[in-house]
Amino acid sequence: MSEASEKLTGSTWDVERLLGDALRPIEPPERLSGRFEDTLTAFAQAAAEELSDWAEELSESELRALRDPRNWVRPVVAVGAGGVATGVLVLLEMRRRARHQQGGLRGLANRVRL
Amino acid sequence: MSGEKENVEPAALDPAAKAELDRAFEALYRDHLRDVYSYAYYRVGNQHDAEDLTEQAFLQAYRHFDRARRESDGRPLRPWLIRIAHNLALNYYRDRSRRPQTPLESADPIPARHGTEAIAEGREELRQVIDKLDRLPDDRRDALIMRFALGMDNREIARALGRSDGATKVLIHRAIKQLEEEMTDDE
Repeated sequence: MSEASEKLTGSTWDVERLLGDALRPIEPPERLSGRFEDTLTAFAQAAAEELSDWAEELSESELRALRDPRNWVRPVVAVGAGGVATGVLVLLEMRRRARHQQGGLRGLANRVRL
Repeated sequence: MSGEKENVEPAALDPAAKAELDRAFEALYRDHLRDVYSYAYYRVGNQHDAEDLTEQAFLQAYRHFDRARRESDGRPLRPWLIRIAHNLALNYYRDRSRRPQTPLESADPIPARHGTEAIAEGREELRQVIDKLDRLPDDRRDALIMRFALGMDNREIARALGRSDGATKVLIHRAIKQLEEEMTDDE
């Protein structure tokens, strides 16, 4: 802090001391951390729901196309245009399906697995 | 490297890499939540908007964390985080076409839970300096918030503001000088 603490002559105010007293670090409310986690979770859920609607409309040819690794970016592009983590979370949904689904998109999810 | 590769989002990584990235981000969040919140609070002047801004800053940071780590070359990421919050604060005013209703809530006593009991003691000079701080040009005010509320050095502030170290040193010097002169003029 020495670079900024050079005292200026002629002033009766110790502005730096006042600033140090006035601008103390502020502890964030405890609820903020929980809120942040909730927001990330909400993004994940929204993305998952969006993916469900989207994925169930896929034709067989589209499903085959998705098996090609060169096309794996497409789900992200298709769903992820809007939200902060939304597009990324499409792939999380694929993993979720791989764990929980017996049929349907299970194979697809396995192939798109991260 | 293409822009697309540079912007790989966290979940697009392989599981092990993503797990490591998430752990690193959690540490970043834990270490700097207070910094981001403090900056946001002093910038927007109220607790509610400070929480919103802090949350948005970390969400943006999460999205770009992998790239930021790679490009930071081992340097601390606090200036990058504060720069995100700084840019969001600019948008906050742009979107809402407003400045804080009062210079800062801290011009009135801040709740004790914020740990600024000194202000609650009603020290007039603190109220004065906060009031004048809020009337400084944005870049001067922001630099002083970073210096005194967050304890950032010139180099960190320079990175957060996107300026050179030298320009930042001058900026802070002039900000303090302006405050001193205005305080003196009011005597």
